[in-house]
Amino acid sequence: MPLLIDQRIVTEDPWQLLDQAALDEGSPIPENGPIAVPLIWYRQHREALQQRNSPLGVIVNGDDDLTALYADHSQLDLIAIEFPTFRDGRGFSIARQLVRSGFNRQIRALGHVTRDRLALMQSSGFNAFAINDERFQTDHLQAFSEISVNYQGTTADPRPIFRR
Amino acid sequence: MYQYNQIDQTLVDERVEQFRDQTRRFLNGELPEDEFSALRLMNGLYIQRQAPMLRVAVPYGLLSSTQMRKLAHVARTYDRGYGHFTTRTNIQFNWPELAAVPDILAELAQVQMHAIQTSGNCIRNTTTDPYAGVAENELEDPRPYCEIIRQWSTLHPEFAYLPRKFKIAVTGATEDRAASQVHDIGLQMVQNADGEIGFEVLVGGGLGRTPIIGKSIRKFLPKQHLLSYLDAILRVYNLKGRRDNKYKARIKILVEALGPDEFRRLVEEEWAHIRDGELTLTDAEIARAKSFFTLPDYDVNAASADAHASLSDSLATDIEFNAWYRHNTLAHRVDGYRIAIVSLKPYLEAPGDITDSQMDAVADLADRYSFGETRATHHQNLVLTDVREGDLYAVWQALAANNLARSNIGTLTDMIVCPGFDFCSLANARTLNISDQINEHFDDMDHLYDLGEIRLNMSGCINACAHHHVADIGILGVDKKGEDWYQISLGGSSKEDARLGKILGRSVPASDVALTVEKILAVYVDQRRENESFAQVVLRVGIKPFKERVYATAH
Repeated sequence: MPLLIDQRIVTEDPWQLLDQAALDEGSPIPENGPIAVPLIWYRQHREALQQRNSPLGVIVNGDDDLTALYADHSQLDLIAIEFPTFRDGRGFSIARQLVRSGFNRQIRALGHVTRDRLALMQSSGFNAFAINDERFQTDHLQAFSEISVNYQGTTADPRPIFRR
Repeated sequence: MYQYNQIDQTLVDERVEQFRDQTRRFLNGELPEDEFSALRLMNGLYIQRQAPMLRVAVPYGLLSSTQMRKLAHVARTYDRGYGHFTTRTNIQFNWPELAAVPDILAELAQVQMHAIQTSGNCIRNTTTDPYAGVAENELEDPRPYCEIIRQWSTLHPEFAYLPRKFKIAVTGATEDRAASQVHDIGLQMVQNADGEIGFEVLVGGGLGRTPIIGKSIRKFLPKQHLLSYLDAILRVYNLKGRRDNKYKARIKILVEALGPDEFRRLVEEEWAHIRDGELTLTDAEIARAKSFFTLPDYDVNAASADAHASLSDSLATDIEFNAWYRHNTLAHRVDGYRIAIVSLKPYLEAPGDITDSQMDAVADLADRYSFGETRATHHQNLVLTDVREGDLYAVWQALAANNLARSNIGTLTDMIVCPGFDFCSLANARTLNISDQINEHFDDMDHLYDLGEIRLNMSGCINACAHHHVADIGILGVDKKGEDWYQISLGGSSKEDARLGKILGRSVPASDVALTVEKILAVYVDQRRENESFAQVVLRVGIKPFKERVYATAH
């Protein structure tokens, strides 16, 4: 699965993302290396996960209650936000709120991540994009600059057009 | 009116190329149908019963003559010579080729137009009072705020994939001509005790399957907080609006489910994070927006004795002009000027339709007599807002020569009608045949004038594009075992006294619609007291007498 970070294709992704189904079936947690687990799992196994002494991330979606996460994400190095379908836009607002809450590490878009929403995701606060192999083409990098105008401000530069 | 700067132009130009590439990738099979569907809708492109339909944005209804001529050119070159104005003051073309749409968009971009966000689950064209800036009893011209909202909502990265479509209306006069109470957000300009002008914020109005009048969640929002407050509402909706059922996805369902108080609490909680932040409007930005909507250079001699005498003379000698003057023109703030309404409701033509040559004619009239501008209205007509009284006769003659001067504004035949089953793939029943039937049945203008102000709206399905719930007489087309039937409701209003109509009873067959309307109007005539309007009679007597007459068994 190609991963874009800072508008570059990253070949080495150190992160292992463990989904709920695998964890429920008893998949072992790797002893070393950065892992991300679903937010619910993280809440249930927080102490054990933090004892691993490896970078930790969580995977969230629009159904999760994120209030506590916004209040404390100091132990996390990655937050992956799932887009369950092309028409589901909750992830944009989640990313925006995460950045606002002070989270400044990796915010990764996961799930239905395709070319035509990359620029919107980036403006909303995502800095990493996991794209399915069958939908990936190298010209996707151009998608970030298709529209050079932004009226509203972005998480990188929150000033709307009239303050620039 | 607002003029694009280099930034605005760059955006629409780049958007054309982006859509051209999306269309190319779809036609090549690189872009799946369901994704292209969402993307093309956000560019106003539907796939309809007969062909694609392209809806072009007319921000808050304002059109320059140059833009109007371009629309005429598009109709002539890429379509079948006509377009259709909608209740959101946009214009639809019914017959474009899918592959030609990027070229149409490129043509539109040349005159600062586009089809961005005229459909799809995003923030749609913001609408307002068609008489903004010239209306009497207006607190402030709402258009600068519409333009501020237009910029903020255009390609908003966070709010492009909302649970459902989202419509905002802004109104600044005491009379609400923007149907603001049946919008996802209605912004009404109000003055507080300190004399400061701001907005009352209504949320969760809407029609469709679940018609609801909007709830006020903030009595007074200072102007500088306009965008941050909208941002907070949209964020709450984007996160909490239902996505499991598209019929329950509008913000009105969320507001009803949570209750207006809880919804307000959530918005205020979100707003607390961002108020006084970067989105706070600066005085300079408000002044900049206002600078595009200054008063035109009115003729100081417009109210001269000569002009007045010439008008009086024409009114006295030409009874057709006299009728047009009485029904299709309105008082203007400036002495010597009138607001002239261009009726897009000619006899036996589709309401809201306009041909390429009619568009050219209106553009010429706008240039010659109304400072080069035209407005599109929620009622699917056009307006020349600033016509000198002395020019009215010439304007009327030109409109009449182009079948645009039917003196029926505000009457029964000034109907809002959706395209219905003839064009729309959502429709259950035809509407255009019924509007013809009503026109044929009520073809005596003196009878219509005697009946007075009556709003008749007709939708071809429960999506209610023609706002049938908020009409004096609402007609809804329904499909019963493959036949078109029509359910009638009475007593709705989309104005400051907004209310939903009450369903009269069982639906009537297509052949009986005009006859049924006749019975309803007969009850009105029987019941009315001096100067009482249809709406007032329905409010006073209720729907029972109407029901009894319509469903009385024949003796």
